[in-house]
Amino acid sequence: MDVLKQLLGRLHPLLVHLPIGFIVFGLLMQWLDRKKNEYDKLIPVVYFWGGISAIAACITGYLQYLGEGYAFETIKWHLWSGIATALFSFLMYFKLSGLKFSTTLTKIPIVVLSAICLLLISFTGHQGGNITHGEDYLIEPLPNSIKSALGFEIFEIKEIHLTDENWESALLYDDVIQPIINNKCVSCHNQKKSKGELLLHTAEGILKGGESGEVMQANNAANSDLFVRMKLPIEDDNHMPPEGKTQPTKEEIKLVGAWIDAGHPFEGTIKESGLEKDLFLSFFPNVEDNDYPDIEITAASQDSIIAIEKTGVHIDIISKTSNFLSASCINKPDFSDADFESLLPIKSQIARLDLGNTQVTDAIFNKLALLSNLTILKLDNTSISGKNIEQLATLKNLKTINLTASDFNGEYLNQFSSFEKLQQIYLYKTNVVSKEIKSLKDGQIQIDYGGYEIPPLPSDSIVY
Amino acid sequence: MKDLIDKLIQEKLARETEAKTRRHFIKNCAQGLGGLALSSIFAGCDPLSSPPKKTLANFSERDLNPLATLAPPFSSKVKSVIYLHMAGAPSQLEMFDYKPELQKLDGQDCPQSLLEGKKFAFIKGTPKLLGSQAEFKQEGESGNWVSSYMPHFKKVVDDVAFLKAVHTDQFNHGPAQLFMHTGSARLGRPSIGSWATYGLGSENQNLPGFVVLTSGGNTPDAGKSVWGSGFLPSVYQGVQCRSKGDPVLYIEDPDGVTRDLKKSTIDAINKINKQEYLKYADPEILARINQYEMAYRMQIAVPEVMNINSEPENIKEMYGVEPGKESFANNCLLARKLVEDGVRFVQLFDWGWDSHGNAASVSLNHGLRNKCREIDRPITALILDLKQRGLLDETLIVWGGEFGRTPMQENRGNKKMAFKGRDHHGDAFTMWMAGGGIKKGACHGKTDNIGFSGVEGRVSVHDVHATILQQLGFDHEQFTYEFQGRPFRLTDVEGEVIKEILA
Repeated sequence: MDVLKQLLGRLHPLLVHLPIGFIVFGLLMQWLDRKKNEYDKLIPVVYFWGGISAIAACITGYLQYLGEGYAFETIKWHLWSGIATALFSFLMYFKLSGLKFSTTLTKIPIVVLSAICLLLISFTGHQGGNITHGEDYLIEPLPNSIKSALGFEIFEIKEIHLTDENWESALLYDDVIQPIINNKCVSCHNQKKSKGELLLHTAEGILKGGESGEVMQANNAANSDLFVRMKLPIEDDNHMPPEGKTQPTKEEIKLVGAWIDAGHPFEGTIKESGLEKDLFLSFFPNVEDNDYPDIEITAASQDSIIAIEKTGVHIDIISKTSNFLSASCINKPDFSDADFESLLPIKSQIARLDLGNTQVTDAIFNKLALLSNLTILKLDNTSISGKNIEQLATLKNLKTINLTASDFNGEYLNQFSSFEKLQQIYLYKTNVVSKEIKSLKDGQIQIDYGGYEIPPLPSDSIVY
Repeated sequence: MKDLIDKLIQEKLARETEAKTRRHFIKNCAQGLGGLALSSIFAGCDPLSSPPKKTLANFSERDLNPLATLAPPFSSKVKSVIYLHMAGAPSQLEMFDYKPELQKLDGQDCPQSLLEGKKFAFIKGTPKLLGSQAEFKQEGESGNWVSSYMPHFKKVVDDVAFLKAVHTDQFNHGPAQLFMHTGSARLGRPSIGSWATYGLGSENQNLPGFVVLTSGGNTPDAGKSVWGSGFLPSVYQGVQCRSKGDPVLYIEDPDGVTRDLKKSTIDAINKINKQEYLKYADPEILARINQYEMAYRMQIAVPEVMNINSEPENIKEMYGVEPGKESFANNCLLARKLVEDGVRFVQLFDWGWDSHGNAASVSLNHGLRNKCREIDRPITALILDLKQRGLLDETLIVWGGEFGRTPMQENRGNKKMAFKGRDHHGDAFTMWMAGGGIKKGACHGKTDNIGFSGVEGRVSVHDVHATILQQLGFDHEQFTYEFQGRPFRLTDVEGEVIKEILA
């Protein structure tokens, strides 16, 4: 018997389309027939069958409600409006077939009744759809702007703003933990969609826990589901968030664990919580040590790049997120000082310049000084001696100079002391005689003379 | 004679006529025509995925020159990669993973709990634990462990970042090597170097972007697929250069063909190709013209860069090169020269690391020690040489095997073996990286007391790939190639950048 009940219940989604069809058909016929009244006899019959099929839909719907374990709260509007539709369908049948059993009914104009009928069937159908597909089924594909204009809540990613200055005074829960949970957990654990009966959008919800009890044990992350289930391997069925959802980063999981271990305080600053700075470093803005200045510049024109590449100088855009360029003479060993003019159209975009193995001389320095954003300069395997190299001191971004296998002369070494941001000089195989000076400017500028050796060891020749 | 010729002519005429008959057309051409029709029907099935037709107006520089450089999505930390692969799987327990506890347990039965549910290539029954055959010392400022098998390496130990708990799910050489180089244990995926050259192109227009060097002996078990281009255009596959004989097969002009003759041949071919292009405007033709010209330039550039004799004596000594032979040392020096000349990806394969212990040449006390000696000096030299030229900052060096080796002594056929050896083991092994953007002297991951599995900081092969791509300026999740109706990634659906070893 139970099997039959369940089976009938599952026929509900099929059967519901019959009353919808009959009633809408009836309404359309009424409209079509509004002047000629040719189908007077037929239309009531349509509503009669509409009513019969609606009752069948109601019964199967009720069985489905019993069998599939829906909460009455979820389906009550659908249930009552379904029954109302069935009754109203019969009412239309009586009215249209001219049976006079109530005077009030005869007084209401048929247009009003038809309108109510249309409303009822639409409302019932929509409620049913909401149960099977979820309430946001129709809203979901709309763009966010329309969603919010319609008054629907949209899930918002919250950003974490921590810096070297503010991290100690930032609120541990409100500014860090809450945004993490919000971004990675709340889309399924909120008042509308409380998976596992767990609400994570409020502190109360987190403390209350879900269907398998509390999700946090104070000072014991290893026993707290909130932490443990994020930490499980993603293949594990109990891993949260489930596969396919945006996963928290290693650092985020670690921080949630540390927060629980610290007694999961909902109030207070990071400093008061006593958690270490290391835990928060990954949320600090990325201060990347890039090979180009930390500024925005306009892009070089495509035409000038193409024109330069025609001369044989290779130009690369450093990355798709930056307009800085890298210029290289790897395919143009005959590049000489005079060729430099061709680079002028992109002089502010060049951050990396490779003039290695070219014909450039010391006369290039006053030209190079025009490349205000130059960060890395390679002059290896050239006849550069270093005369007038102080002209490059005006380059405020220059970090690295590579003079490997050039004719660089030791007497110019001290000129580098006036370079503002210089960090590294390569002087392997140059004319520098004394290799005493290993760094300049109190260690800011490191000098690598190379010439590394690997002294032979007795074991080098032992064959086992 | 005349009869025969007449007969031939007769036959020729008969055949020709036959080919023009309606009967022939209906009987024999149906399949061909049907196939043509079918293919056009299938092509029309998927209007969304078919790429827009290339016309004269919309081809890019890439269409003409597949190795033209492209900007990476993010700023890259390195320009080139040198990948040192020790085919056969070196023993981490004799090189970098120091396990004093294993030493104490030497000779004892391996606990059953470790063996349950595990598959080994050769180990049968209950094997005995085997302590490290090497001595270990903490070296450098980082205090990372290096064994006595690698006496020179300690000089550069502060430049590398160790991954002590890499794991793989493959325990046979072929699939494990494929997995390590293509992200899949099955054939058909592009190798890391192919992805890199496809994504970035190559700066030097006279050299290939992806060069492969093997140190003779056996080629990797997985075959050339470990440097193949998979579903990427084949122009991105690794070009194998030999350190003995012609660096690239058939690079020399044949006897009697001068450079000038070659040039005029290529000019003639390209002239025809250009006419063809004017007629059909197919950019593929321009790409072909480009390839001919590049091949011609390569004939000069490749032998030049592959010649290690021009290097000064002290450099040759530093690497320990053996001119005229195929050796790992030669290849390390070549790798530096190639990177110096702007080659994007240099892949080195060394062989003979499969230390099972079934012969002296593959035992931990003989063969492995010799192998370590063969790579110790060259690798140390490579790192130092790149450093003194200012190239280490823009190069990423990756070292590793396809898996690791067991803490147990191999007991092939459940018998005690003549030499000490270890079986294949994928649960935990050591790899290291050095160069641009890598945290110097870092050590990430930890194995248990006997080095059986990782207990902290376990990283997968996909994680290693994600990290390599990150250093080249890619987000491994966004770097995809459309194939068979879906986007493919080097890291498939996995991989996480190992931030712990990044500076």
